[in-house]
This record gives sequence, structure tokens and C-alpha cells, in this order.
Amino acid sequence: MTTDEQNIITVQPWHDPAAKPFIRLKNITKKFGSFTAVDNVSLDIYEGELFCLLGGSGCGKSMLLRMLSGFEQPTSGSIEIDGQDQTGVPPYLRETNMMFQSYALFPHMNVEKNIAYPLVRAGYKKVEINQRVEEIIDMVQLNQFAKRKPSQLSGGQQQRVALARSLIKRPKLLLLDEPLGALDKKLREETQFELMKIQKQLGITFLVVTHDQEEAMTLATRIGVMTAGQIKQIGGPQEVYEYPNSKFVSEFIGSVNLFEGRVTEDTENHVLISSKQAGCDIFVGHGVSCAPNQKLWIAIRPEKMNISANRLEGKNNIINAIIDEVAYMGNMTVYHVKLNSGMIVKITSPNFSRQNSEIFQEGKTVYINWADNAGVVVPS
Amino acid sequence: MSSTTKKSSFIKSIFQAPPFRWTKKLLGKIGFSGRGLVIAVPTIWLLVFFLIPFLVIAKISLSEALIARPPYSSLLEWDSDGLLQISLNFGNYYYLIDDALYIIAYLNSFKIATISTIFCLLIGYPIAYYIAKSPENKRNILLMLIILPFWTSFLLRVYSWIGFFKANGIINAALLNLGIISEPLIMLQTDFAVYVGIVYTYLPFMILPLYSNLVKLDDILLEASADLGGRPMISFFKITLPLSVPGIIAGSMLVLIPAVGEFVIPALLGGPDTLMIGRVLWDEFFSNRDWPVASAVSIIMLVVLILPVMWIQNKQNSNLGES
Amino acid sequence: MKTKRYILPITVVLGFTFLYAPIVSLVIYSFNASKLVTVWGGFSIKWYAHLFEDDQVMHAAWLSLKIAFISSTLALILGTIASLVLVRFGKFRFKSLLSGMISAPLVMPEVITGLSLLLLFVSMELLFGWPAGRGIVTIIIAHTTFCMAFVAVIVQSRLSDMDESIEEAAQDLGASSLWVFFDITLPVIAPALVSGWLLAFTLSLDDLVIASFVSGPGSSTLPMVIFSKVRLGVSPDVNALATLMIGIIAIAIIGASFLMFQKKK
Repeated sequence: MTTDEQNIITVQPWHDPAAKPFIRLKNITKKFGSFTAVDNVSLDIYEGELFCLLGGSGCGKSMLLRMLSGFEQPTSGSIEIDGQDQTGVPPYLRETNMMFQSYALFPHMNVEKNIAYPLVRAGYKKVEINQRVEEIIDMVQLNQFAKRKPSQLSGGQQQRVALARSLIKRPKLLLLDEPLGALDKKLREETQFELMKIQKQLGITFLVVTHDQEEAMTLATRIGVMTAGQIKQIGGPQEVYEYPNSKFVSEFIGSVNLFEGRVTEDTENHVLISSKQAGCDIFVGHGVSCAPNQKLWIAIRPEKMNISANRLEGKNNIINAIIDEVAYMGNMTVYHVKLNSGMIVKITSPNFSRQNSEIFQEGKTVYINWADNAGVVVPS
Repeated sequence: MSSTTKKSSFIKSIFQAPPFRWTKKLLGKIGFSGRGLVIAVPTIWLLVFFLIPFLVIAKISLSEALIARPPYSSLLEWDSDGLLQISLNFGNYYYLIDDALYIIAYLNSFKIATISTIFCLLIGYPIAYYIAKSPENKRNILLMLIILPFWTSFLLRVYSWIGFFKANGIINAALLNLGIISEPLIMLQTDFAVYVGIVYTYLPFMILPLYSNLVKLDDILLEASADLGGRPMISFFKITLPLSVPGIIAGSMLVLIPAVGEFVIPALLGGPDTLMIGRVLWDEFFSNRDWPVASAVSIIMLVVLILPVMWIQNKQNSNLGES
Repeated sequence: MKTKRYILPITVVLGFTFLYAPIVSLVIYSFNASKLVTVWGGFSIKWYAHLFEDDQVMHAAWLSLKIAFISSTLALILGTIASLVLVRFGKFRFKSLLSGMISAPLVMPEVITGLSLLLLFVSMELLFGWPAGRGIVTIIIAHTTFCMAFVAVIVQSRLSDMDESIEEAAQDLGASSLWVFFDITLPVIAPALVSGWLLAFTLSLDDLVIASFVSGPGSSTLPMVIFSKVRLGVSPDVNALATLMIGIIAIAIIGASFLMFQKKK
């Protein structure tokens, strides 16, 4: 084994079959009457990971978090943390801590007392409490605000108090429920990196729940995409973006153009898919495991498509289209182009130069094309 | 931090003290969980001292008055053959229906309470509206001023009106001095005094729910209406008033219900002919010492006035919960 | 147009006058040397002197204060437990029964509450021999029962306004239910507890009707004594008593709101 490979394995333990998961969810189901909030979820998280559960509201991600912290009991299935089964362990005895979406700071205690609370409850000595509180207050840069009440702090400061308070006991697993949800956009971006830095510094395993795909992409070592109580795909940010395994994941993360079609030609190194929406046969430059004449979808990201004024010769996947709408975004231009089938395709094109001569105007007839390997074939 | 630690260990030591541990053990043995015990304490208290008394009233309303201690007959008796005899006496209820006094008293209480409620609404609405539209710091002071009289003795506040209404009281003196009247008006011991007393006492109960409803009303709605050409008066009747209906109902209930059963106000300000059911019950009990009839009066009051009102209120609440 | 603008403020001023004139008149006439309300006989504190010499009033006042203190404290404990149970305990078998029983005393006419409790006490005495006769104990029980409804209303609304996640956070950070209650819930709802207790205290101190039913010989409360005095007409020493009570309550309320204001700052 080369040192390079070793690095990959230590950084990405989920690729190593011998690695032992730190958090283990086995067939977790949570039902409320006839409603299934979490549906047979199994998930392994490794030590030191920053795992993001990404999904819309009501997808069951927060319920998973509440089961991990012990506020809810799974209807069936088991949760293991560091090899210990958590069934029946109440929240106050679990070695997990949670950072609440609302921060849940104690309004009647100042910053210092809020942060010290877990240690006080655990019966630490006063000297040690003081020392550890001071340390962590330093880390989150709240020294000037130690004596303030939560109501006297800004949103960003409250967020840092909540983080410090949930970290001070050095939990085995820190659960973060929409940790940056209440911050404005600019502060959110700064805080994302701060959060990653702190996580690396302390080496604590983080499980973040978020509905914001950008946040998940930035923070996560791996992302679990959830919908309707199930995890649809687990993978690194690049993996879930470039290799979505379903229509849902491709649409949920980033934007995508989906062409419905049927396999007409199936060889080992390419397939041809006939799509009425595209108005042509789509050439996919790699083999796809599928049945003959199977219905499937090709997902192509807007930035992986090109627009040209003239038909490029000698290439596959060229469609005639009319520019329907143009939006200039600064770093790029977003086009909505209309195909003959009536389908609207979204294409983004980077603005390399400062002249806008290369921007196509509305109503112009153009050709769009994409590379043989630009699209991902998804079966459902 | 030290204080928290100290407090903690203090509380801990209390709960680990032997009496606590023993009680817990004992209760656990007879199948009481901590949770069940916590639920049981207020539930049992209210069962014994709130619900069961009504069963007792119902029972006594079916017995006969006796000159004895206690002054009523027993429903259950063992006769000489050792058989259990139950003697129900509906005579008390028959008596209430038969004697016009009681029906008049019921109707009159309801009339007085309703009219007072309307006046409370007419006076309370502008005040609540004004407070709700005031800037926030002024709002708090005004609210405080509304609540403040409520904290002073109700009995004394009612009593203070005697000084105003007496034949040689403040109002008559003022009117006589101004030459508006030539001889004192008779105000004390009239229905008028009772109305004033009730409106005065219950006005805060009308204003507070109205205020909390009106303060939530979005100014944007009114601005939108003005923007669409609605004149202020029209906006008020088309938007503010319909939206404040829940507040009006809540306030009216808070005034109407206690006013119906009011005793102190008619007793102090009303005349001998101001018949209100609370007062009739009082007299039946304290003057006539007829406990069974007093019980029957309160059972009817409960069935005719209180239960419907509670039902309406319950419905209102569940409607609010749904929307 | 201009007159229209003043209609609302004038109504408001008249409304407040209506609310305060009687109270102000009580205070003024308590210092009036003349017994007649229409005649100002000069400033005097003789009615206060009268009042303090009246053993019956003094005894009743002391009794009322004792009853109010004990029953408002009991009502606070029971009402708070009931609120916690109703707001935080989820579903349990007797929930609707409890929530019905806790709010019903609010709409129950006092004459009915009083009568029903008296009949209960009489029946209990016949059956178990307790309570033997009626007096301070029965009044305390009666006041606790109807005051706990008011405490429960206030505490329940504070509890449901409270962000439940702070209790969960404490639990998550290592506190068992009992600790959560003492460390978090109790301090956060403390203002509601204070106002609940104060309200219960005032209601108990003020109650005439229920106490009249359930009191026994020798246990006349202050409102009962006042009522028997004023039934006969205006009596100036009652004015003095009223002024004293208004003064004490005003000081208490101003002090309390000052404290609250300071804390908020």
C-alpha cells in the first residue's frame, strides 16, 4: 500500500471494509399511528466524521436526531454509539449532545453559566469547571460577553454559546439541528468554516441536520439525502452531486435537466436512449445496466451543457433550440432554452470575459450540446 | 457558578433524605409511579373538593327540609325489615317552578347580566381599541391602570358607590348644588345602582380580552383597506369589528357568567325588589335555612346557566384550535 | 373632523375616571372628620384610630391574612402541579377530567361553590367526623380550591409560551427530569408563579361569599366583618380600612413591577 492510499483510507473510512463504524443505526423505524416518520433507516457514521443529513421539512431527519439524542424511542431497530446499545438510555445519560435549532439557551443564566451547566450537572469540581469554561469561551471568542444574558447577545453570538455549551462535555457525538438556519447569509458562510475548524480541532463526530444543500455540500464529509423517512443516497458531496442515484437526488441537490427516454441500443461501452422530450437519440458514452427498452432518465447538470450559434459537427447530443429567457448573474449567465418538444432546458454558462458579446439574446435560434459522459442515467 | 453547585447539592440532599426515599419506596410498592403520583395530587384534590360537592348538592336537593342538624332528611334509610329505602323528593324542584319568585329571579339575573354586559362592551371597546393602538410604552402603563383596581378589594370598590348614590351622597349633592334637581334622586337600592356596580366591577374583564385580540390585529390590513379607498369608519366596521369577534365573545363571557350569579352587588346596591338568583339562594340558605331548596336553586342555575355557557365556551375553544 | 379626533380619547378619559373615582373617593373620605360624605369636616385621622381600636376588625384582618397566606401558597403548589401535568405530561387517562375541573371554578358562581363546599363539609362530618365544625380549616380548603384555578390559568399560559427545547436542552446536557424542573422550568416560570400567588392571595383576602358559607362561629374573615358593617350604610372606619388596603396593594404592585422592570433591563 502506498502512503497515498493509506491517507485515503484514514480520511475516508467508509471505503475501508475493515473500519469499525462509531455510530450505528440498524433498521430504524419510527411510526406515529399509521404515519411512518422514519422508514427502515440504516446508517454507519465513523469517528471524526462530519455527516450531514439533508432533506426537506418533514422528511424524518429531525426525528432521527431526536432518536439519537434519546428524546424519542425508535419503534423498531437499534442505535449503537461506540459499540454500546442505546436502547432505553435516557437523554441525560447519553454521551451525545445536541445543538438545538432555536439554540435553547437558558434565558435566566448568563453565558458563563449556560456553558458551565453540563459540567455542574455532572458534578465537576469548581476549579475544573472554571478552567474548561474559560478554555471554550476562548475558542468561540466570547470572552467579552461571558457575563451577559442570552437576550443581550446577537444571533451569531447566541449560536456560539449554544455550540460551546454542547461541546463542553466533549460528547462522543454532537448533533446539530439546522445549526446555521437562523443566521443571515453572510454570517452563515463565515460560520460554516468556523464550525469545520472547531470540529477538526476537537475531533468530535458531528451529525448535522439541514435542509440547505449548499450548507451540506460545504460542511460534510458525507451527505445522506433523505426523503419520506428514507435515506435515498449516502456519499461524499462530489459523489451525490455528480453521481446521483435517482431522479430525486439529482433534483434535490443542485439543478438538473431530466430527459425521459427508453433504451434503444445497449452495448458494453455505450447506450442509445430515445427521448421524445429531447427530440433525438441521446448517446451515453458508457455502459448502463438496464433491461432492453427500459424506461429511464438522463440527468444533465446545467453547467455541463453548451450553447452555440452554429451546429457543431462530428458530435453526439446536439439539439436545436430557441433562447426563451436570459438571466445575467455576474459570474455566469443562466439561459432557459425551449426545445421543439416544448421542454425548457436550463443551461448555465460562465462569463469568461467582460464583453457581453458572447451572451445570446432572447428569441435566437441556437444549438445545445453536451459531452457523451456529461449525463447520468438514473432508473427512477 | 458556585451558587448553582451549592443549590444543586442542597436540593439533592433534600430528595435523598430518608423520608423521601421511604415514601418513594412505599408508593412504588403499591404501584404508584412518580408520574402517576404527580397527576393524582391535583386530580384527587379537585375531585374531592370540587366535583363531589356537586353530587352532594344534587343529593340534598332531593331530600326534605327538617328542623334538625343537619337540616335535611336522609335519602337512604334502613327500614324495620332491613331493606334499603330510597326516598327521593322532587318537591323542592316543584316548589321552584311553582313559585313565580324563582323564575322571575332567574330571568331577572339573566336580564341584568346581559344588559350590563352590553354596557361593558360599549364602554370597554373604545378603551381597548385606544390602548391597542397606543405606542408600546404608553400601552403598558394604560394596561396597568386597567388592572390596578382589580387588585384592590372588590367588596370595598362596590361599597364605595354607596357614597355616590346615597340620598345625601356625592351625586345628589352635586346635582342639587348645580340646581339641576330640586330634591334628591333615589339611586341607591335601585336596579340602576346594580347596573352601575356590575359594569364598574367587570369592565376590566371586558377590556383585557378585547385588548389582547385587538393588539394582534395587523395594521397592514387597515392600511390595505385605506389604500383600496375604504374610509376609516368603513374600514372599522368591515375589518376591525368582524376580526375582533373572538375578543368580544371572550370578554362577554367573562362578564356575563359571574354577573348572573352575583351576590355582593345586588345585596349592597340593589333594593329589596332587585331579585337576583345569587341573592335568592343566599337568603334561602342563611335566612330561611332551607338547605334542600337552596341546593335545588343552585342545581337549576348550574344546568340552565352554567353548563350551556361552558359548552359554548368549549366549542369556541375547539373552533379556535381548529382554525 | 377635529371634534371626531377627540371622541376616542375623551371616552378613554371618562372610562378611567369611572374606574378610579370610587377608589379616590374612599381615600379622601377616610381623612374626612365629618361622617357625611357631602360635608368636608377637615382633615382627620380619627377613623384610623377607630379602626385600630376595633378588636373585631383587627382579629378578622389577622385571620384573613393567615388564611390568604396559607391558601394562596397551597393553591400555588397545587395549581402549578396541575399546570405542569396538563401542559407537559402528554396524554393520560384523566386529562380531560382534570382540565375541566381546573378551569370550571373560574366560571362557577361563588354562591354555588360556597354552598356545595359547605354541604360537602357537613356530609363529611356526618360520615367521617372530619372536619369537626367549620372554621379556618374549611375556609382554607375552599379558598385553595377556587384560587388554584386562577394560578393554573396563569402558569399554564406561561408554560405553553415557554420554549420547550430549553427543557430538552437541559435534559440533553445531563439533567434528569427533577433537575430540569428545579434548574430550568422553575426559574423560567418564576414570574408567573409570583403573579399567580399574588392573585390567589388577593382573591382569598377579598372573598366574602364562599367564606360566609364555609366559616363557622368565631371565624369571621375581614370581608365578612366589612360586609356586616357596610350593609348598614357608609361607615367611615371602613373608608380608612380601604385606604390602608389600597395603599399596601399599591406599594406591593409598584415594587413588584419595579423589580420586573429592573430585571428586564
